[in-house]
Amino acid sequence: MSITAWLELIASGLITGGIYALVALGLNLQYGLMRILNIAHGEFLMVGAYLTWLVQTQFGLSPLLMVPVAFVVLMVLGVAVHFLCFRRLTATSPNLDVFEARGLMVAFGLMFLVQNFVSWQWGGDLRGYDYLTEPVKFGEAQFAANKLLVFGLALLFSGALIVLLRMTLLGKGVRALMQSAIGAQLMGIDTKRLHPMMFGIGLGLSGVAGALLSMAYTITPYMGQPYTVTALIVITLGGFGSMGGALIGGLFLGVIEALGMHFTNPSLKALLSYVVFIAVLLLRPEGLFTRKGRNA
Amino acid sequence: MNSRQFLIRDLLVLLAFSGWALALPSYASEFVVSMALTCLMYVALSSSWGLFCGSTRYLSLATSAFFGIGAYTTALLLGQFGWVETITIGAGMAVVVAVVMGAAVLHLRGTYFAVLTFGMTELIMHAVTYFEKTVTGTVGRVLTVIPENNVIYLTVLVIAVLAVALSITVRRTRFGLALMGIGADEQRAQTLGVNTRLIKIAGFAITAAFAGAVGAAMAVRWTYIDPHAVFNPFIGFQTVLITLIGGVLTLWGPLLAAIIFSVLAESLRLQFPQIYLMSLGLLLILCVLYLPGGLASLRWATFKGWWTDSRDWAKDLKRELSGEKERDKQRLKRREKESHFV
Repeated sequence: MSITAWLELIASGLITGGIYALVALGLNLQYGLMRILNIAHGEFLMVGAYLTWLVQTQFGLSPLLMVPVAFVVLMVLGVAVHFLCFRRLTATSPNLDVFEARGLMVAFGLMFLVQNFVSWQWGGDLRGYDYLTEPVKFGEAQFAANKLLVFGLALLFSGALIVLLRMTLLGKGVRALMQSAIGAQLMGIDTKRLHPMMFGIGLGLSGVAGALLSMAYTITPYMGQPYTVTALIVITLGGFGSMGGALIGGLFLGVIEALGMHFTNPSLKALLSYVVFIAVLLLRPEGLFTRKGRNA
Repeated sequence: MNSRQFLIRDLLVLLAFSGWALALPSYASEFVVSMALTCLMYVALSSSWGLFCGSTRYLSLATSAFFGIGAYTTALLLGQFGWVETITIGAGMAVVVAVVMGAAVLHLRGTYFAVLTFGMTELIMHAVTYFEKTVTGTVGRVLTVIPENNVIYLTVLVIAVLAVALSITVRRTRFGLALMGIGADEQRAQTLGVNTRLIKIAGFAITAAFAGAVGAAMAVRWTYIDPHAVFNPFIGFQTVLITLIGGVLTLWGPLLAAIIFSVLAESLRLQFPQIYLMSLGLLLILCVLYLPGGLASLRWATFKGWWTDSRDWAKDLKRELSGEKERDKQRLKRREKESHFV
């Protein structure tokens, strides 16, 4: 295999990996901070994708413009969902274990609700539109412009979230809450404000991922679930609650999938990611890239 | 009532139910019988699921894996073996897989366990699909030898009655107590001399055996099976849903919920499949939020509690909107100030 082919293969892996990372970061934020394992995360990605598609085909607005809009809409939706479901759940659950199990169930319910609402409204057909489809050349290697744009924006948003958590006072509060909820509350960090906000930001990121995906791929109401599963795999790879781990894990999984698909068989793709997932979960349940006792 | 009277009551209720289900095909229409069959299938699945997962609080999503294994066993073996043998082998295969899977994953708790069992199901499904594609060259299988409808109905009925009878008896044995102990506090159970590892694997295997048997029996209803249909994670989700909505720890909750669900499914599914699934999701959310003990925990007091809660909420809202709350606050502040001066 020539250098160019290798380069293209790895780059295509990184492009899918960027989306994986973005989805996983949102999910990881929700799980790491609130212990809500949001199985419906991928469905909200699908909502973001449909929103972009709808506005693009109805009003001809540029999808690029829809990225921040999708973020805001999904964030508002996230805050509303948190207000309606998880606030009461936090108040009524006797301990964190019970809360986690019940939260998982509520997320399952949300998954059914959102997925079937979209398929009821717009039908189960494949949808899509053309946007920046001409190829771009880097020396010998060729890439589609929209995929490069998707990759760049995915990295940008992931980086922004990590910077937000590392550098700002808000991020410090979030990290403190991840380390010890009670300790953080005693220091005067307002859980009641931070939890809905972070849940909203997590969903907002999945909305961005959906808007980006709709630029380069076709969309269906059932596209969400594979992304949820992949995001779960990624956060197990990177360690639950570790943001840097999720970013590296996402890119890593994208490359593994691309290489594995090239050298074995495309129908092995799903099998491959599940094998990686189960192996990691059984052998190193704290994640590949975490050192013990350090988070975010 | 003491525990013996409870046992007799439960057994009598079970006897009445099974007698009624037995008589159903002779007078009801074909549609009702098919609905009853779906109902019995979910009774068997959810009762056996509650037996292990309810009492130990290990949330398993692997039901569809065992179901699919049973279904595939039927697809492969029904020509060569008899009906009863095939179902037994199907259950046996599921048990073997459950023991291997349980030995690997049962030391993980909570969300890890739920996610892992889900992942294992998908892994098995993709492995079977890949195997079929590359080795046999087909994706699905057509079942040619099919027993009569009555035989299928009777088989599923027997499996369902066995599942409920088992959950009646198990909760009175040392094994059942050990399962409850693991659910309450696993380390304490271990300290008190329960071999938790063995008990958990045994419980998981029992759940798997029932799911495998149901899968083996229901496979012939489809006549054409492919991995995406029989390993459908939805079967696992719906089992969990029914058990949770009915009440995980109760005996009759899952049965009640299974009846409600199959009526809802058969009446809504064909015309409005999305609305059926949406109402399922909504029901699950409402149930987890407002009725965590399940339908079987519903008492008069629950309704009264909801009534007083919503009345208090409405009162509070009224006070808030009319500005009474704000005035109260100011009054309090003024009074504080005055007492300060005095």
